Amino acid sequence: MVSQRRRRASAYRWGWGSRLLAAVLIAIGFAFSGAAGALAYFFPAIVTAFQVTGHTINRSAQSPPVQAGTQGLSTADPSQAASERPFTVLLLGSDNDAKFGGTVLTQSMILTRINPATKQVTMLSIARDLYVPLSSGGTDKIDKAYSAGLANAAVTTVENNFHVHIDHYAWIGLLGLVKLIDKLGGIDVVATHPVLDDFYPADLSGNNPYLYQRVAVLPGPQHMGGIQALEYVRSRHGDLRSDFGRSQRQQQVLLAIRTKAKLLGISDLPDISDAMANDFNTDMSITDVASLLPLASAVALENVHQVILLPPYTSSATIGNQDVLLPNWDLILPEVHKYFPAT
Amino acid sequence: MRRPLALIVLLALMAAFAFGVNRFFAARKTTIASAAAPTEVHPEVALPGTLYLAQRGDIYRLRSGTFTDLHLPAGIGTWMQPAVVPGTPDIVAVARTAAYSDVYLIDGSNGKILRQLSHNKTATVTIQLWHWMFWPHVAADGNTMVVSYDAPKSGQSYEIDFAVWQGSVSQKPATQQWTQPYSFTGGDVQPLPLPGGRLLYAKYQITGGNVFSQLAMQTNALGDIVYLTSAAADCAQPAVSPDGGTLAMICASGTGLQSTSLVVAPLQGTKLGTAHVVVAKCICGAPAWSADGSGLGYLAPADATGHFQLWWIAGASTPRPAAPKQVTTGLDFDATSPPAWAP
Repeated sequence: MVSQRRRRASAYRWGWGSRLLAAVLIAIGFAFSGAAGALAYFFPAIVTAFQVTGHTINRSAQSPPVQAGTQGLSTADPSQAASERPFTVLLLGSDNDAKFGGTVLTQSMILTRINPATKQVTMLSIARDLYVPLSSGGTDKIDKAYSAGLANAAVTTVENNFHVHIDHYAWIGLLGLVKLIDKLGGIDVVATHPVLDDFYPADLSGNNPYLYQRVAVLPGPQHMGGIQALEYVRSRHGDLRSDFGRSQRQQQVLLAIRTKAKLLGISDLPDISDAMANDFNTDMSITDVASLLPLASAVALENVHQVILLPPYTSSATIGNQDVLLPNWDLILPEVHKYFPAT
Repeated sequence: MRRPLALIVLLALMAAFAFGVNRFFAARKTTIASAAAPTEVHPEVALPGTLYLAQRGDIYRLRSGTFTDLHLPAGIGTWMQPAVVPGTPDIVAVARTAAYSDVYLIDGSNGKILRQLSHNKTATVTIQLWHWMFWPHVAADGNTMVVSYDAPKSGQSYEIDFAVWQGSVSQKPATQQWTQPYSFTGGDVQPLPLPGGRLLYAKYQITGGNVFSQLAMQTNALGDIVYLTSAAADCAQPAVSPDGGTLAMICASGTGLQSTSLVVAPLQGTKLGTAHVVVAKCICGAPAWSADGSGLGYLAPADATGHFQLWWIAGASTPRPAAPKQVTTGLDFDATSPPAWAP
């Protein structure tokens, strides 16, 4: 009798409204705890994502965005959803050890046009020895633009010389490339020819920037780890095409990375961000980067167009004791503007 | 008393849920399986004869369905590119270090090193004067040997290309230069000694900014070159069937930069018959005929890890070869080391 009375009293105190409230609170509690568990997992990636994305560059000095179909190119159609509009990214790759007294050169500059609607990508390699006016003043090799003013100067220099608008940039350090490839478990590459170099910089470890090492990447299909892939894309001394050969190899390795990265899922983000933390930055927002990832895996290899500006687009010369490539703008600009809208 | 207890239980459940969510994401990380040692697996196809294959710096023997580790000393270098010495149980193989590589004669039955055939780390500390030596092959006489060797060179130039040299197992592997490579191309690689003193190899060239290889044949040292394949076909990695009547090769033409084709063609003297693509658009490499000529082995990735496995095509020289069969799973063979096949 006593217990029945207690139960009735308890039911009185815990009416249906209270029970519902308690249930909702418990559900919210579980939702929060689940979110906390996920946050704890992704927290390092989130911190890194905020650190490496959203780097601002001075857009005022740059060319305005291209609006409608320049030279017949389908570009920023106002009726097109923002996420479907084509855009241009300047990919920058460089050593990041500042081994020569703070001067950081870009080893690689690839102008990339991405069309999310058609899932087509064009990659145009810019030779590092291209002798052009720099946005920071003076005329020099284009690889020095980055050392003069980091991504802002590199982007502006490319925009000014190629008469294109660059929407975003993404920079990766050499060590970041090595770590990324190793995190992916290596990549498969069909090495185009024997890449032999007796004067390859031994600068990934140690403090002597003038040390050399020997490199021999054997030809044909093979599975490459990060260090070997870096040797393949970085060496140029033994290649008749010098920088052009290297540019082709860089594009090849980027595509191999893309192929392997298709295997990754959201749960891999902490590992990848850990690998890239100090070796990657971009002016894209986290949302931009997140929207690019599925696009990267959706683009078929046959829809990736690779462009390298070989002679006669450029010609070799020696200026001030340095070997440079002189651009033939009359040929270069029409070719570039086939793929990248002119400003 | 019951309410605090219920609250404690609820909090514990929420904490467990948070932990569970965290581990859920962790468990969904992409696992790129690391390769097993060949001795831990059994081939899925029974192959004739004895094979020698290189994986991660060691050489393994496959006979009667069982892999045996030759346990070559890791301190000497990364072991690769085994080749049989006809008429003996011995093999020759390359030990590669960071800056040079040497050829060794090894007892294939027990892995005992019989002799170091080359000494490519010279007394000088100038690493540019050290040498690479790769792809040793021994002729049917069991003594005549050919290798790709980056000599001659001065150490003062960026130019470094492989030339094919001939030597002998009993003396030195490279005593006479047989080919003259094109400068700054990587040179002449993958030499095979043929009956009658002929030499077959892959010759790399660069024309109009494009790099490609052609299978080339010579009948005497530094003599005239007969090309068996076109520049457009871009073929390398020749493997001649034991009866000398069929040539297998890896061609990259038309496959893009990220794939190859395994091709076979009848060979009569210096004439190549109509070529047949046996495996199209793959990342295939390192073809090797079985010693009895009943089929063709090659290396190619089988899954997303990108690690190269051994594959087998029975009757590859016949008009109707069997479909490729995957022989191994979960291994990581060195795709720059064609299998060596002994009877």
